[in-house]
Amino acid sequence: MSTVRGRGRNLEIAVDRALGAAAEELRAQFALRPDFYRGSRAVADLGILEPAAAEIAAFRDALAEFGIALDGVSGADAIAPVVAELDLAYLGTAAAADVSALPRPRRQREIRLSEEARSLVADFAGARDDMVRRRVSGPVGVVSPAIASAGVTLPQTARPAIPVGVATLYHRGTLRGGQALHNLGNLVVIGDVNPGAELVASGDIVVFGALRGVAHAGAQGDRGARVIALELAATQLRIATAIASGDVGTKPRGPEHASIAGDRIVVVPFAEADLRKESVAL
Amino acid sequence: MIQREEAPAVSALPRRRGRAIVITSGKGGVGKTTTTANTGAALAATGATVVLVDADVGLRNLDIVMGLEARVRHHVLDVLEGKATLEEALVTDKRVPALRLLAAAQTREKDDVDTAAFRDLVGSLRERFDYVLIDCPAGIEKGFANAIAGADEAIIVCTPEVSAVRDADRVVGLLGDERSVKLIVNRLRPALVRRGKMLSVDDVNAILRLPLLGVITDAPDVIVSTNRGEPVALDAASSVGASYREIAQRIVGTLSGPPTVPHEKSFFDKLFGSRK
Amino acid sequence: MSARRIVLTSGKGGVGKTTTTANLGAVLAKRGHRVALVDADIGLRNLDLVLGVEKRIVFDLVEVVEGRCQLRQALIKDKRLENLSILPAAQTRDKTAISELQMAKVVQELGELCDFVLIDCPAGIEHGFRNAIAGASEAIVVTTPEVSAIRDADRVIGKLHERGLPVRLIVNRLRPEMVRAGDMLSVEDVTDILSAELLGIIPEDEEVIDTTNKGEPIVLQPDSRLAVIYDKIARRLEGDLVPFTTLRAPGFFGRLFGKAS
Repeated sequence: MSTVRGRGRNLEIAVDRALGAAAEELRAQFALRPDFYRGSRAVADLGILEPAAAEIAAFRDALAEFGIALDGVSGADAIAPVVAELDLAYLGTAAAADVSALPRPRRQREIRLSEEARSLVADFAGARDDMVRRRVSGPVGVVSPAIASAGVTLPQTARPAIPVGVATLYHRGTLRGGQALHNLGNLVVIGDVNPGAELVASGDIVVFGALRGVAHAGAQGDRGARVIALELAATQLRIATAIASGDVGTKPRGPEHASIAGDRIVVVPFAEADLRKESVAL
Repeated sequence: MIQREEAPAVSALPRRRGRAIVITSGKGGVGKTTTTANTGAALAATGATVVLVDADVGLRNLDIVMGLEARVRHHVLDVLEGKATLEEALVTDKRVPALRLLAAAQTREKDDVDTAAFRDLVGSLRERFDYVLIDCPAGIEKGFANAIAGADEAIIVCTPEVSAVRDADRVVGLLGDERSVKLIVNRLRPALVRRGKMLSVDDVNAILRLPLLGVITDAPDVIVSTNRGEPVALDAASSVGASYREIAQRIVGTLSGPPTVPHEKSFFDKLFGSRK
Repeated sequence: MSARRIVLTSGKGGVGKTTTTANLGAVLAKRGHRVALVDADIGLRNLDLVLGVEKRIVFDLVEVVEGRCQLRQALIKDKRLENLSILPAAQTRDKTAISELQMAKVVQELGELCDFVLIDCPAGIEHGFRNAIAGASEAIVVTTPEVSAIRDADRVIGKLHERGLPVRLIVNRLRPEMVRAGDMLSVEDVTDILSAELLGIIPEDEEVIDTTNKGEPIVLQPDSRLAVIYDKIARRLEGDLVPFTTLRAPGFFGRLFGKAS
């Protein structure tokens, strides 16, 4: 799999297969959110590949379809003249090309959640940066409603809670320690999420099983995101920039729903959850 | 249990389609090597032909636990590099001629092993032996990757401790869906479990969710036996040996149904259980 | 930089490196030193569990190396001991995620913040091991009195000497009654084979597993005899010549046989 990483407003693309195949793969990935990366600049590391000028040009065009400008390329020495021909910067053989080595001036920006929402990875760093400063330690608060559980109030109209165009990743099977699912959109897991596993989503997270690992919903700042699980026993729960330590190993309390109220994460039994809250993006 | 018959030459063994099982754990020190040795010995005692392969290059121990270290002349890398034939490298256990050992190299590194070549070696061993048991090193690095190559079955050995369960879970994730994976819980101390000072088998499997092959209680005779190179599975009087013999029967298929989880006091429980 | 950067290693897994790192670190912190513990076991992290800080991990060693956060942001301060901090490993990555040079840099940076940096080394002698020793200036080899563990410790000591690291030995999980019965090697046997300077002898204690499961280092329990033993080890590390005291097996009054502490 070719990988795309964000650094501030820019992307680093590491290509591990023939450029044509990589371009197709990236097209499919970007097509999920066609405007998400618009305006970004990118550099690509081609590793040991030595493609012809036409292939690199086609790759650059594929990126341009989504508004991504390819500025530079790193890889084997042999491609240097080819790259120059195409008016791209050749960044040497370094495995991690340094974007700041590009000739064009680039504003240095600190990664901050509210402004630099360009790539999944950069955002998580920003979100957690915030969280570290405002760390909320201690057990998750369980809010008991004043009224007895007389019954669930059904919403009057069934409105889609997620914006159109955002993909939901559906995974069937238990996630083992060390495995991670990251998604731009919602995440649904049918199975357990074991301690040591990690779920990160820009939208909601739903686990039809025991959630015992780390879950981060609303990772790009959506404070209306929620985490729902048959058994909510996460090592750590994060929603947007709020964080709460979980209570792994306590007696199961039935399906529960976690969301933000004010500055804290609040967990209620699922039957009492308010599912009508609007999504709020920063 | 010393047999007098000579073991046949490897090339003379009839062709068969053997099973290749890797014994792994993630966490070190949970009893992989002891389990490989004893399961192998118990399998051989059922009449199957077994070869044990030590994949812990540089930190070999299977030969010690089997009591065969003095007889090792060549090791896996010698065979992979063509410096010795399989026949020359395999050490036969005089107590159980159906059991052979392919030792690891001690002064080499795991990086020296070519994964594909190792996989092929396991493949060719499967054609000669009913069971190829691969003793996996601790960790999830190249040594691990080599050890699991060529094995389509895995046995996870896990002690009832949180760290061991977490590491085992990681390994199960890395083994993927194509391999059949089963669990042995090792070093259980039922008295500690009852006092709430140790995880129960259920606690372990609540996370791992694997078919249970066996449960082995902690006992000092295991340490003694590994120091002396005399696998407990060959000791008719050892209860731990009996557990391994049961495991072998489950692997072979002559015993079905879930393993019983011991509740009576183990030796250590009798020694220390009265404290507090 | 005057910080002591000590790697705790063993070769064989399961001999008690992580437990020893946690407890020794805690005792050093109790004695007033600023201590940072580093988990170098990327992908199989356990130091955080043993110290009970798992739920507070936000950033880890790999993210520090990759520049996604500051070292200070990743360090977790222990709530019980103000001088103790932990830098956890990553769980969803593997040991190739960082290089020896990167590891050395992190350890060096930590060394500027504290008096002792203890590095918890993964089992084995592969990439993870090489990373763990990269930033260290001295080594403690942990072994149990079992043939396999000693053999592996021997291999590791060889590698440490290749790097010019001074090596000291902790013999862990000693069972004096088994030594007496001839069923276990004595400490003398171990030091003879390994010929390394003895730093400490720690007896087997069935309470330890429970404390590691719960994330409460045993040295923090008020009546723990292991606390006394670790304290002596800490004093020897500081440079004091502390005599090894004797351990008795239960029920054998006044009889000397394996030494301990």
